[in-house]
Amino acid sequence: MFKEIYTFEFRYQLRQPLFAICFVLFFLLTFGAVTSDAVIIGDPVGNLNRNASLIIMQFMLIMSMIGVFVATAFVSNSVYRDFEYNTDSLFFTTPITRFDFLGGRFLGSLTLAFLVFLGVASAIMIGSFMPWLEAERIGPFMFGPYLFSMFVLVLPNIFLTGAIFFSIATLTRSMLYTYAGVVAFFVCYGVAASALGDLQNEFLLSLLDPFGLVTFGLMTKYWTIVEKNTAIIPLQGALLYNRLIWVGLGAAVLLFTYSRFRFTAAATSVKRAARKGFDELATAERPAAGLAQLVASQAFSRLASLRQYLYQTRIEFLGIVKGIPFLILLFLGVLNLSASSGVLERLYGTHVYPLTHLMIEHIQGSYLLFVLIIMTFYGGELVWRERSLKLSEVTDAMPVPSVAVWASKLTALILSMVVVLLAGMLTTIGFQVYKGFHQFELGLYFKGLFLDIGIPFLLIAILAFFLQVVANNKYLGFLLMVLYFLSLFVLPALHLEHRLYRYATVPESPYSDMNGYGHFVAPMLWFNLYWTFFAAALLVVVHVFWVRGTQTSLKERLCAARTRWGRAPKLAAACALVAFACTGAYIFYNTNILNTYRTSAEDEERSAEFEKKYKRYEPVAQPRVTGVRADVDIYPVERRVEIRGTYELVNKTAAPIRDVHVVLSPDVRIARLGIQGSREKMQDADLGYHIFELAPALQPARSCRLDFDLSVGSPGFVSGQSNTNVVHNGTFFNSFDYFPHLGYTRHAELQDPNKRKKYGLPAVQRMAKVDDVAARGNNYISNEADWITFETTVSTSPDQIAIAPGYLQREWVENGRRYFHYKMDSPILDFFSYLSAEYEVKRDRWNDVAIEVYYHQPHAYNVDRMIDSVKKSLDYFTANFSPYQHRQVRIVEFPRYARFAQSFPNTIPYSESIGFITDLRDPEAIDYVFYVTAHEVAHQWWAHQVIGGNVQGATLMSESLAQYAALMVMEKEYGADRMRKFLKYELDRYLKGRGRELIEELPLYLVENQPYIHYNKGSLTMYALRDYAGEQALNGALAGYVRAAAFQQPPYTNSIEFLSFIRPVVPDRLAAIVRDMFETMTLFDNRAAEVAVHRRGDGTYRVALTVSARKFRADGKGKETEIPINDWVDIAVLGEKEVGDRKEEFPLYIEKKLITQPSSTFEIIVDQPPAKAGIDPYNKLIDRNGDDNVKEAHGAG
Amino acid sequence: MELIIDRLSKTYPNGVRALADVSLRIPTGMFGLLGPNGAGKSTLMRTIATLQEPDTGSVRLNGLDVLKQKDEVRRILGYLPQEFGVYPKVSAEALLDHFAVLKGIQNAKERKETVKALLHRTNLHGVRKQKLGSFSGGMKQRFGIAQALLGNPKLIIVDEPTAGLDPGERRRFHNLLSEIGENIVVILSTHIVDDVSDLCAQMAIISNGRVLLTGEPLQAIQDLRGKIWKKTILKAELDEYHRTFTVISTRLVSGKTEVHVFSEGQPASGFEPVDSSLEDVYFTTLKQHGARAV
Repeated sequence: MFKEIYTFEFRYQLRQPLFAICFVLFFLLTFGAVTSDAVIIGDPVGNLNRNASLIIMQFMLIMSMIGVFVATAFVSNSVYRDFEYNTDSLFFTTPITRFDFLGGRFLGSLTLAFLVFLGVASAIMIGSFMPWLEAERIGPFMFGPYLFSMFVLVLPNIFLTGAIFFSIATLTRSMLYTYAGVVAFFVCYGVAASALGDLQNEFLLSLLDPFGLVTFGLMTKYWTIVEKNTAIIPLQGALLYNRLIWVGLGAAVLLFTYSRFRFTAAATSVKRAARKGFDELATAERPAAGLAQLVASQAFSRLASLRQYLYQTRIEFLGIVKGIPFLILLFLGVLNLSASSGVLERLYGTHVYPLTHLMIEHIQGSYLLFVLIIMTFYGGELVWRERSLKLSEVTDAMPVPSVAVWASKLTALILSMVVVLLAGMLTTIGFQVYKGFHQFELGLYFKGLFLDIGIPFLLIAILAFFLQVVANNKYLGFLLMVLYFLSLFVLPALHLEHRLYRYATVPESPYSDMNGYGHFVAPMLWFNLYWTFFAAALLVVVHVFWVRGTQTSLKERLCAARTRWGRAPKLAAACALVAFACTGAYIFYNTNILNTYRTSAEDEERSAEFEKKYKRYEPVAQPRVTGVRADVDIYPVERRVEIRGTYELVNKTAAPIRDVHVVLSPDVRIARLGIQGSREKMQDADLGYHIFELAPALQPARSCRLDFDLSVGSPGFVSGQSNTNVVHNGTFFNSFDYFPHLGYTRHAELQDPNKRKKYGLPAVQRMAKVDDVAARGNNYISNEADWITFETTVSTSPDQIAIAPGYLQREWVENGRRYFHYKMDSPILDFFSYLSAEYEVKRDRWNDVAIEVYYHQPHAYNVDRMIDSVKKSLDYFTANFSPYQHRQVRIVEFPRYARFAQSFPNTIPYSESIGFITDLRDPEAIDYVFYVTAHEVAHQWWAHQVIGGNVQGATLMSESLAQYAALMVMEKEYGADRMRKFLKYELDRYLKGRGRELIEELPLYLVENQPYIHYNKGSLTMYALRDYAGEQALNGALAGYVRAAAFQQPPYTNSIEFLSFIRPVVPDRLAAIVRDMFETMTLFDNRAAEVAVHRRGDGTYRVALTVSARKFRADGKGKETEIPINDWVDIAVLGEKEVGDRKEEFPLYIEKKLITQPSSTFEIIVDQPPAKAGIDPYNKLIDRNGDDNVKEAHGAG
Repeated sequence: MELIIDRLSKTYPNGVRALADVSLRIPTGMFGLLGPNGAGKSTLMRTIATLQEPDTGSVRLNGLDVLKQKDEVRRILGYLPQEFGVYPKVSAEALLDHFAVLKGIQNAKERKETVKALLHRTNLHGVRKQKLGSFSGGMKQRFGIAQALLGNPKLIIVDEPTAGLDPGERRRFHNLLSEIGENIVVILSTHIVDDVSDLCAQMAIISNGRVLLTGEPLQAIQDLRGKIWKKTILKAELDEYHRTFTVISTRLVSGKTEVHVFSEGQPASGFEPVDSSLEDVYFTTLKQHGARAV
């Protein structure tokens, strides 16, 4: 009997749509997370294999938490169903036992809930075979992690939660209480997690976590990359106990339910009402009006149809939104939205203000999947509602126009989407209020949610609806929708990228506070209009093929369609298609005729072609640019720039130069380009390569002029990525974008080894070796110039301010345009930028240096912080390195289309998203605005005074030293304690960056422009070096280095020269650290093993400390080899003191000790109560697990 | 008012011939459509109710082409399908009100009164606030009747309306139908012979998609007078009787088998003449056309 009930339950629920929906949902979510970085489940994948065993286990574990809802739906349905359909009495009167009934139902439904996780497993398996993934990050297939996850992680979790909610459903016989129970469960879990989060005893916490998430974290945190990729957690210790405890609890709950459950029929109020009905029926027939008296007038007009439509819409809409599945999906969506709001746009753990446009993007990102599911699922439900209820014969025979019927359903679908979006909006507004941010831009919410996001969603709703009607089979309709979603990923991967044939896709329209939706509005509207017309045509098809009555065969449907294919539908279809074609033609005119449409494959092909054709000219000697003069006119409304200018060229070689090679972006239109007395020997306008032959040849030390008159327009709009350099408000471009360049440039070369192979190109040419003197003939910024003179006049519209490097000589208005003449009074690198926007300006001074911040008016939040940082940076850098070469520092805001700040001579363009909107109200937050500003100011020294040659290690002297300089300014401001917090992020980023390396990790002094090395490892290394060498000595060395290398002529400095300044200031006993830090990849595994405290009679404390210390050398692929340790490492005992309302650690004892053994013991006497003790407590050494370096001090206190 | 069905044929994709050249003239008043399960009654009803396309043939109602002018027909149609469901989470009153809007009753006050009256007439007024999902089969059937009577239908099609009703409910339903004005067309499809004999002035017997007989029930009974004979036999003799006589039906009376036999004169000794009933007409007709009776 048990078996029969079990099998029936299993089969019954298997056929319910819920199973398929959950399965597909879980599959898609996981598939997305495995195959892209856009969807994230739990911690980001980082540097692991896409199918690493840790990833498998982590995904399964996280999904099993979401799976609580699935398990609840299945198990509660298994008992509740009988009460809902009044079949309880059928079952309760059969001779089955309570055990068979409850057990069979529970296990049958639980099995199915369990099988849903095969969706997760298969998504990882299938996902890791997807062709667009980097092959390097796919490990060999392993069966073990799947098996382990399914049975050790997932099964106990859904058993426990299934048991709890099965019991609630069984005992209360109420779906509402069951789901209220789920919510209560999660609320309790969240509260408990945050309340117990302070507990230092991870072991206890890992037993108490019913999902085992803490346990999982505890057991895997010491894992190396190799382990993470291949190992399985041993089922022992905390994990074993955790699983036993919670499975046991689940079983106990079931036992309790079994003892309390009785086969009694439900006696609800509904039932009583039903009886009342029967009683009434039994009484004598009451006299009532005869049927003949029932005369009600009927009216059939357009107005009447409209009313029918409205009534039907109302009933359909309420049918959706009052249903449990909708409420669950909505709840999950909102939950997901609010949970992820907390980590939005976080940098170094610091948040930004929850600006409305960020909230909208957040809704779009986190909601997409839910809206797609709701549209797909309810599209099917609505189309099939009457038929599945067997009500269709009644309603279809009613005198309602078909158009009113399908339109009402579609409207209800759209309204439910509106409800979802509004719920999202309320959630994010709630989040804004919670964050104490009260600038709600309701108009922007409306535009963003209902135009930018809403219209594509609406088009998807229509497609779902259309597919259901045409397929005339609910599951086929669902399948077609899934195919559509897949096509959104697959088509671009096949280089079918144009949005003219990708339904409901619209060019991305990022919002910037500075530029609003800017020029993105036009393509957004046109593409939306285009697809809306297409959708209108789909709706005509819906109308014609709408099933009315009992047509089933294709023949019948065609026959019915033929009679419905009347004048109105024909006219509507014709209008829709003509409008579709016209908007399509207009779009095509814009994207493919006004602009050149190229797929990403064609772009790659052109890169390859450029390299193949012109790489051979790379060694040809060229004159050097020594001066730049340019008149630049920016037309923000038209998004056009005109550039007229002159380069002063000098032959610095020893031989005459005959051919001058000029390279220009192919986007640039050339009115004039030439060198006096030359002829254009070769012109390739398509790829932007020109060769001018000088007659006579340019003799050594002689100069000539390159004149140019160029323009860059942005006509119409494009299908793909549009030009965000020149925009309505917030233009920002630099000399690499539109100015001519001399000689072949490598920056467009394809980097991906597979693509290079595909186009028959040789392996990517690595950066020149550190000691390559010829390569050091260029600095790493420019291969055409050393130091240049610079003068420019830039004009813009009268409401904007235009900025370029140099000092403002004159500003005037002429012909309705605003002109600015800038001139630089000292030589600068060949690297300059232009900006133009409506700016507010804040001015200040530091000694004789003018400080100016040009910002978008509402973004005044951190302007004072920036100015403060500039002043303190100038203080520190001038005192420790060298004088500042300019008389001005300008920070200039630009739109968030790019997310960086960049230092140009006396000018620092600074993205609105990287500091201007940072929320620094929390005094504990890491003030990265201060840090970024200091870093950019530091570049005025480390890049704009000292610039490395174009060889390995060059960015050590710009980026790493700018990091060091910024850290020093920051430490003065915020203290050493905050620095540790910051450096933890740097360590984290460095370690993660290593794992994402595609070619080879290099030692710091050979860095080949690898950000995780020159920024993050650079920070760690320089900060530690400061500690070992002392700040004074190190800064002395740096000042010496500046004196030697600033503004030098080629050959430019290299990291070997830099290290030669460093070595003398490192104490002899520590000399090995230069090798460890700069010349190799060295990692430590330091750990505090035991800390015992004994209070002595004299009130002091004796701390017995055992530490383990191991040292490793890694190769470029991250393979580590242990080497003997023989290093001076900090050994410390930390005390704790109250600072305000929080505790702060401070060293009671810290001393460098020579460590030569894997395990060492120390005895330290301190005179205050110790809190922690350990080795390298401040993580100066690179250690993959820095958290275990110190340990709580225990013992006889 | 007259419904003229002319040479209507319909074959389903699976090869079942549901209607074969069906021609009927249905005048005003109650018209009974009698036939065994699967005879094609529902197909015919659905076709008249604008829900299904025939392969060939036409249906005309007072100058309206039912197959083409569906919207016009739906305005004067009341239809109760053989099997139907409801929105389970909506109350009877709310759904009936909703249907009333769909039927074109625009005036809110009239609609309210109509709904109220119909709920009274179908004895659902006491449970009008109750969710339809909790209705019993009989209650649901009565709800179906109520919705079919909404508006002022000139053509009422009720497909097996008394299935699932208890005798009391069935009687009340008959009373309800009999109140419907004489000058509209009511088509009642049923396999219960008494429904027709109680209610209908005109009838047709249909089987295997063919019309076997049309006319007035009383006249048909009259025609059969003196030609139906009965005899109580042993169960074992049944085969023998089937071979020898035109057995039109067998039934159990107090546990014994009674056969009805069609014969111009007394078929054999032991047979007694029977006062022929519509049931005899029905079975005789089916027998004569070689169709298997239920």
